Amino acid sequence: MTTIGMETQVTAPPRRRLLQLDAPAIMVLPGLVFMVVAFAIPVLILVADSFRDASGLSLAGYRKVLGDPYYIGIIWNSLQLGLITTIGSLLIGYPAAFALSRAPARLQVLLFALIFLPLTVSIIVKTFGLAIMMRRDGILNWLLLNLGFIERPMRLVFTEFALYFGMINVFLPLMILPIYSVMRQLDPRLTDAAASLGAGPVTTFLRVTLPLTMPGVVAGISLVFSISVAAYVTPGLLIGDRFMTMSQVMAKAYLNIRDFNLGASMAVVMLVVAVTIVFTSTYFAEPASRRGRKG
Amino acid sequence: MNVVAREAAHARATPRSDRYLDVAAVTKRFGAATVLKDLDISVARSEFISLLGPSGCGKTTLLRLIAGLMKPDGGRIAIGGNDLTQVPAHKRNIGVVFQNYALFPHLSVEQNVAFGLEAQRTPKAEIGGRVQNALALVRMQAFAERRISALSGGQQQRVAVARALVVKPSLLLLDEPFSALDRKLRETMQIELRHLLRDLEITSIFVTHDQDEALVMSDRIAVMNEGRIEQLGTPDEVYSSPASLHVLEFVGQSTRIGGTASASGQGGDFDIETPIGQIRASMRRNSGPTGKVVVGIRPECIALGERPGADFNEITAELADIVFFGSKTALHFKPPAMEDRIQVEVARLPSGVAPGAALKLHWPIAETMVYPTP
Repeated sequence: MTTIGMETQVTAPPRRRLLQLDAPAIMVLPGLVFMVVAFAIPVLILVADSFRDASGLSLAGYRKVLGDPYYIGIIWNSLQLGLITTIGSLLIGYPAAFALSRAPARLQVLLFALIFLPLTVSIIVKTFGLAIMMRRDGILNWLLLNLGFIERPMRLVFTEFALYFGMINVFLPLMILPIYSVMRQLDPRLTDAAASLGAGPVTTFLRVTLPLTMPGVVAGISLVFSISVAAYVTPGLLIGDRFMTMSQVMAKAYLNIRDFNLGASMAVVMLVVAVTIVFTSTYFAEPASRRGRKG
Repeated sequence: MNVVAREAAHARATPRSDRYLDVAAVTKRFGAATVLKDLDISVARSEFISLLGPSGCGKTTLLRLIAGLMKPDGGRIAIGGNDLTQVPAHKRNIGVVFQNYALFPHLSVEQNVAFGLEAQRTPKAEIGGRVQNALALVRMQAFAERRISALSGGQQQRVAVARALVVKPSLLLLDEPFSALDRKLRETMQIELRHLLRDLEITSIFVTHDQDEALVMSDRIAVMNEGRIEQLGTPDEVYSSPASLHVLEFVGQSTRIGGTASASGQGGDFDIETPIGQIRASMRRNSGPTGKVVVGIRPECIALGERPGADFNEITAELADIVFFGSKTALHFKPPAMEDRIQVEVARLPSGVAPGAALKLHWPIAETMVYPTP
């Protein structure tokens, strides 16, 4: 028995804590708890719902969503909505971010406020404003009439034009901000150096400016696409049922027809689509910004 | 700056008549401020010229105008007789080494150097060899695959030089390329770069605010102040015969004494009344200004002891400080009537000399410089 006593003395177990909590680990804790409760658990429930209906385990929802041409059309509508909004925002936002980053400091503050301000206005207010603007007697028709582009007021509300006009208007700031923040850190001497080496404006843009601002472009694309593909309010108010999207199907499934299986299946499909697009765009853009484009 | 190097620089700077780079009456304004006004400068083929001046004197603006990165508001810039004033930067074939090197962070060393060749549509077969040659020139072949962020400051500078030289520019512009390097490395790189550019016979313009750098490297120095060139000459000329008080103050050490000059010239000399006594200066050296003037003397011209002859100035002053530099010792005198100190350099400190002692100082009348008070 004495040996056991000795043994316990010799092999006094080192104090091992289950969790090594240092300062950063403690600081991330509130956020982690919040995300688990507010995001991870609901998503898990959603995924579970997508695989079951009243009778138990079922793939009926997925069969409908991925098999029925009606729903495939709706998925395509959402994709189109996300893609066109993203491309439109990028085409308008990239040059705007460039101009913004090169503007004199004082003007930059003003322009920055002008871009940021719309984000503080409720999306519903903004969209109603756009709808009013696009009525037959609205300012857009008035402008087109007086500039001589059209002879009679055009139907604008509830058209795809209205939809994309509104969507790009709503999402443009989300494209400009990340691109601007990267563009601002771009050393203007790099473009000077390219010019001194004989590179014209186009070559300089393609081989220096674009690769180096790619991280901002990727962030903007990810942000705008993942939010616009799921847009609900703006399409609902600007085009309505003529252009059904995944979000609207989900809302109808949950609120009107109470088919949770259908709603959850659609939600999971949307999640997969958005995550796939975000990851592939990051995957393709990241190495491009690393190595540039080797001729 | 030692004498041998200065003499060597002088020997190099044999007068050349050809005006390879010709900048004529160039003016540049930023809003209401005129940064350069009717500036003229000509550079001979394969010459190395420094633009030396304090920050804000317009030297970097002049460099950017020559590179075509800015448009002048007036005047003309030509290389080898071709007017380039309206030619955009990317069609000028002028190499630039930027202050922070401006290397492309997303490209490797090799890709950085190849950038200019690719932009100018050099045949692919030719690019590889020329890149290797350029890297060999700056001894960076071993680093071809490296990322820029993995290089030290000195290595980055070498890559920047290789990148600018590989396209065979008609002119090389260097914008304070050594300012980011520590002192030891800077001195090595200065000599290395100077040798390289001389071997390649590349015409170079070098912007710096560091007078030592300019003296070490240049065939000629253009001392700039407030948008003008105050003096253009060999390092020796600029140091020994400053054209203005600003040049005297900016290049090298000097003692400056305020005084009043009288017009009474006898035998080509004239006198200046100063708080520390009468100082004589030569008309041969100075234009003989009258009224309020500043007397300037280089520290190495002043010696301790009584003057050996009549063609020397002599004063007595109290020694304030002894500053030991190793190869030389600086003595600082602080006469009560003077604001500035009188600086004297001696190779070896005479025995028994200590702060507080009143010593006699003398220097040649011929080395006394006189400028009108600005």
